[in-house]
Amino acid sequence: MRLRFDEQTEAFRHEFAVWLDAHAPDDATALSERPRSTAHVPDWARDWQRSLFDAGWLVPGNPPEHGGRNASLLEVFVHQEELSRRHIYPSYNPQGLTIIAPSLLAFGTEEQKRRWAVPILRAEITAALGMSEPDAGSDLAGLRTRAVLDGDRFVVNGQKVWTSGAHDADIILAFVRTDPDAPKHKGLSCLVIPTDSPGLTRRPFGSIVGPDDLDFNEVFFDDVAVPAGNLIGELHQGWQVATGSLGHERAMLWLGFASRLDDLVRHGGDEIVARGLADDPLVLDWFGNLVVDAHALRLLGYRTLAKARRGVEATEQSILKLFGSEAAQAATLAMLETLGADGLDPDRRSAPLDPLHEEGFTASWWERYLRSFAGTIAGGTSQIQRNIIAERVLGLPR
Amino acid sequence: MDFELDDEQVELQRVVRDIATRECPPALVRAVVAGDDDAAGLWKTLVELDWPALTVPADDGGMGMSAVELVIALEELGRVADPTPFLATTSQYVPLVRACAPAGARRELLGAVCSGGTGTAAFAADAVRARRDGDGWVLAGVARHVVDGDRADELAVVASTGDGEGVFVVPAAAVEATRTPTFDAAFHLADLTLDEVRVGDERAFARPAVAAEVGRARDEAVAGLAAEMVGASQRILELVLEHVKERKQFGVPIGSFQAVKHMAVDMYVAIERARALCHFAGLAIAEDDTRRGLAASMAKAAAGDCQRLVTRHGVQLFGGLGFTWENDLQIYVRRAKVGEPLLGTSSEHRARAARRVLAGRRPTEAV
Repeated sequence: MRLRFDEQTEAFRHEFAVWLDAHAPDDATALSERPRSTAHVPDWARDWQRSLFDAGWLVPGNPPEHGGRNASLLEVFVHQEELSRRHIYPSYNPQGLTIIAPSLLAFGTEEQKRRWAVPILRAEITAALGMSEPDAGSDLAGLRTRAVLDGDRFVVNGQKVWTSGAHDADIILAFVRTDPDAPKHKGLSCLVIPTDSPGLTRRPFGSIVGPDDLDFNEVFFDDVAVPAGNLIGELHQGWQVATGSLGHERAMLWLGFASRLDDLVRHGGDEIVARGLADDPLVLDWFGNLVVDAHALRLLGYRTLAKARRGVEATEQSILKLFGSEAAQAATLAMLETLGADGLDPDRRSAPLDPLHEEGFTASWWERYLRSFAGTIAGGTSQIQRNIIAERVLGLPR
Repeated sequence: MDFELDDEQVELQRVVRDIATRECPPALVRAVVAGDDDAAGLWKTLVELDWPALTVPADDGGMGMSAVELVIALEELGRVADPTPFLATTSQYVPLVRACAPAGARRELLGAVCSGGTGTAAFAADAVRARRDGDGWVLAGVARHVVDGDRADELAVVASTGDGEGVFVVPAAAVEATRTPTFDAAFHLADLTLDEVRVGDERAFARPAVAAEVGRARDEAVAGLAAEMVGASQRILELVLEHVKERKQFGVPIGSFQAVKHMAVDMYVAIERARALCHFAGLAIAEDDTRRGLAASMAKAAAGDCQRLVTRHGVQLFGGLGFTWENDLQIYVRRAKVGEPLLGTSSEHRARAARRVLAGRRPTEAV
C-alpha cells in the first residue's frame, strides 16, 4: 500500500501530460463550434480525436493499429485519470469510443473492425447504442424489436428509445430479437444498422433539462433491411455482446463519478467561499460530507484497480456506481439549496465555462441537479444496483 | 495510488481476526460486562503476541509496524468488542510517547508497554494547565472522558503550558480517576482530576515543536478509534446477513425481500466507505503525508456515519429478536456507537474536513 504508483507508471503519465500540453485543442478552437449531442462531433473535435489515435494515445491499451500502444492496466488508468483531471474528452462521441468500438473489436470480424471500429476510433463516423425500448429498460433482455433473417439480409421492425445521439450518428449498434421462441436471453442478436437505412426514423426528444436539450431519441424501425454481414457475433448470441458492452460501460464509470465529485468540491467550494458561507455550520456539514465521499470513492476505485491488476475480481466494484452517483446527487442538491433564491435562475452558471468540458458540468446548479439523475438511473438504476450487490456480494437469496 | 493491502498486511489481518474471534467470544464480553471477568486473561494473551507493541519502534523493543497495521488490528479488535486497554494503549498512549519523548524516555516508557504495561492519553490542553515549578512542572485541571483513564498504568496528559502545549506522562497513582458510566460497560471511560500533580522533567515533553507532534499522535488516535467503530459495524453486518438468510417469514428468507436487501447494501456501502478512509488515514500517517489531518478527520466522520446507519438498520433488520439482551447484536451496537462522541464527533470532523478543503479555496485577500 503506497500513496503513489510505481515509477514506470508515473513516467507514462508524465509522457502523456507532456504530449497533452503540446497537442490539446486551445480554448478558441474548442469554442468555435460546440457539440450538440453525444454523436455530433465538430470538425475540430474529429481532428483532435484523430491526433490522439495517430499518436497511440486514444485507447492506450489497444495495439497501435487501434489507436493505442499496448499499455498496461495501470498505464491505461493514469491516462484516463490525466484526461479526467484536465477535463479533456478524448472523444465527443463517448459511447462510440467506450462501448461500441470496444464491442466491435471484441466480437466483430476483421472486416467489421476495419469497416466500423477503426472509423469510429478515428472519428470518421459516429455511433449510437440501441439497447433500451419502451418496455425494456432495467429488464433489457425483454426487448422486442424483431429482426428476421431473409436471405442475405435481416428485416427489422420495432422501436428503441433513449438512444443517445441517434439523430447525429452514422450507425446504431442495435440489439434485436432474432429468435422469439428461445428463452429471453438466448434469442437476441446484435446488428450494425446505418442510420440512413430506408424505414429508419429518428425522433429526438427533449430531456427534463429543457425542450432544446436534444440528445435522446426514439428510433423506429419499419421493415428496415440490414445486410446479414452486419451481424456482430453469432446469431442469437447478442446477450454476450450486450453484457460485454455494459461491462465496458461499468469499468469506466467510477472515474467519471470521482471526477464529478472533485468538480463538486471545487465548484461548490468556490461558491461557498464567494458567498461568505465558509463558517456556516450547516454548509460545513454537507460540504464536509462531500469531501469524505469524494475521497472514499477514489480510494475504493483505487482498490478495485489494484485487484484488477492482479486479475482478482473486486466485488466492491459494484458499489462504485451506486455510491458515486448518489453522493454526487446529494451534494448537487445541497449546493442548489444553499444558494437560496439564487438557485432558481436556470441560466446562472455553476462554474466558469470550461471549453473542453461538457457544458452540463458547468451549467446552473439546477441543471446539474437534474443531470445527476442520469447517474442514478442510466446504466442500471440504483435500485437494480442494490439488488445486484445484495445477491452477488452479500449472498442474499433472489 | 496503490491502495491494496500487501500480502503481509492481509496475513496480519487474518491472524488478528482468527485469534481475536477465538479469544474474545461474546461470552467473554458478557462476563466482563457482568463483572465476572476483568479481561486480564485476554490482555495477557495480547501481550504474549506482542500486539500492544505493534507500532513501538523496533529499537525500543517493539514490532516497528506502521499506522496502517495499527488500523488493521484495531478494526479486528473492534469487531470482537475488545474489553482490554488495547485501543488506548496502542492508538493513544504509544503514538504520543513515540512522537514526543526523547530517545531515553521513549525507550523506558515504551519498553514498559512491550512487557505488558498499559497507557492512555488525555488530549486536554483546554482543561489542564501545566506550570513550571523549579526543576519540574505542576499540573492542575480535570480531563474528561479519557479512554481507560481508570485502569491504564500511565497517563500521557496533553496540557497547556501557557505558551504552547506539553505532554506529561503521569503514573496512575498520582491522579484521581473516576470511571464514568457508559452504555458499553466493556469500554472504560474516566474523568481525571489532576490536583497539583508534580511531573519531573524526565517525563515532561514541552519543547516548542511538540504541538506538531501532538497533532500527529492525535490523528493516529482518531484513526484508531474510527477503525474500532468500523470493526464493530462489520460484526453487526455479519450478524444481520446471517439472520436474514435464515429467518423465514411468508415461507421465504426475509433476505429475499428488496426492502431488506437495500438496507443491507446501504450498511455494506457505509462500512466500505469508512474502512477505505481508515486505511487511507493509516497510510497518510505512516507516510507523514500533508493530508494526514484531513484523512484522520474523514475517517472519523465516515466511521460516525457508518455506525449511525449500521446500528439503526442492524437493530431494525433483526426485528424483535434484536430487541433482546440475549442476542449478541447489542454487544456490537454498543461498541460501534461508544466511539462516536469521543475525540470529536462525526459532525465536528466533517466540519474540520470541510474547513481544510475550503481554506485552500479562500480568495487571497481573505487569508
